[in-house]
Amino acid sequence: MVKLTADNIEMRFGERLLYRFQHLSLAQNQTIHLQGDNGSGKTTLMKMFAGLIAPSSGEINIQGADSLPWWRRNPLLGKAVYLHQHPYLFEGSVAANLSYVHSLCEGDKATIMARTEQAAKLAQLDHLMQQNAANLSGGERQRLAIARAWIMQPKLLMLDEPTSNMDKLSQELVLTLIKDLQKQGTGMLISSHQACVLTQLCNQMWKIEQQGLTSTQHTPTMAKYSNTGQSQEFSYVTAS
Amino acid sequence: MNDGWLALIQQALSLLFSLDPEVWSIVSVSFSVSFAALAITLIPSLILGFILAFGRFPGRWLVTNLIQTLQSIPTVVIGLLVYLMLTRMGPLGDLKWLFTQKGMILGQMLICAPVLVAMSQAAFTSVDRRAWETSRTLGASWARAVWTVCRELKVPLLMAIVAAFSRILTEVGCSMMVGGNIADVTRNIPTAIALETSKGDFAQAIALGLVLLILSLVLNFTLGTLRGKAEPRSH
Repeated sequence: MVKLTADNIEMRFGERLLYRFQHLSLAQNQTIHLQGDNGSGKTTLMKMFAGLIAPSSGEINIQGADSLPWWRRNPLLGKAVYLHQHPYLFEGSVAANLSYVHSLCEGDKATIMARTEQAAKLAQLDHLMQQNAANLSGGERQRLAIARAWIMQPKLLMLDEPTSNMDKLSQELVLTLIKDLQKQGTGMLISSHQACVLTQLCNQMWKIEQQGLTSTQHTPTMAKYSNTGQSQEFSYVTAS
Repeated sequence: MNDGWLALIQQALSLLFSLDPEVWSIVSVSFSVSFAALAITLIPSLILGFILAFGRFPGRWLVTNLIQTLQSIPTVVIGLLVYLMLTRMGPLGDLKWLFTQKGMILGQMLICAPVLVAMSQAAFTSVDRRAWETSRTLGASWARAVWTVCRELKVPLLMAIVAAFSRILTEVGCSMMVGGNIADVTRNIPTAIALETSKGDFAQAIALGLVLLILSLVLNFTLGTLRGKAEPRSH
């Protein structure tokens, strides 16, 4: 089982302390809701866990992942995949964006091709395969980015405000893809400053407040997302 | 346009289309020297541009400014510097590269590298950082991520290459000083145009000028097409 641990982390931007915490871990089969106000450092935390930025001090390690060749020094990159709030799509068609990850996936070519087809279908992008990715709508862009990650079947995935500015259909399609990844055991960290369609899948919550981070085991008691397309606040009960 | 001009242009076209060996030997020297200089300089310059754009290290500001300054040094001054290095008494005198194509290539490398570094640095600085982050987080190696970013920036990078190539293909000062304008050896298009004009042989000078003009049109139209095809990006 792949597990990411962060110990004695402190993150600063110049003199400004963003947060410090002693220990956190994200493992497969966990789905965590990361909550915090705007500017509290949710994106920074996720990028740190993905290996894209380094903490000011402390250590982030990954256990259970395959050992890397000597030229791949950062063990987090490619193991804990981070998806931007506004995803970046490479220049070219939808198909080209999906096939970008082919050489980065484990498994034989036929399986990867089949997975790509399935991802396009699940994200309802199969009719747009030859369209230039730059012409997609916001929801389609987000679906494409998640479908691209879905093909990789990552062990750990971090989604930064994935459903912001998404219509109901896109939210449902994303939910299907994320539920499938959850079933496959992908550990997920989902940031959202309010409850959304995806946070109902979370069984734990991390909250960034007062320059610290609290972790709580939670069971969503009203874990039903309103199908009106509007998000609603959930009540959480701390697991004893 | 009077008859004299028309006759000159006719002569120039005739030289080009009759594959006049002297004209095409000059064109061949020009292109082989400039292509070699560009080929040797390209990859290291792009890497340096990338490092200056993304790297954070002491002295980065100094290197950036130094390269910006090198861009504006007249080619004749670079020619003088290379001449002094390659002359028998100079530090590279033992190479015996003075008045050879190798010497010209060295001079043109020094002219084209600052243009490539500065323009590629500007291109890399303008890139959306998410392109690099997305590539890396999906598991791409450092080299593949660099390649991905280069592909995303193909238009500005091609513009840098075209600008650098144009600068070396058309420079006179360095080629004249280091190459010596020796027929069939180091005589390239700009030095030949200067020589033929001074001799009053305008037909050959116009023929060679037309080669540069056609090349410039082809390169700019190709870039224009690429730029036109690139879709504007949104979030």
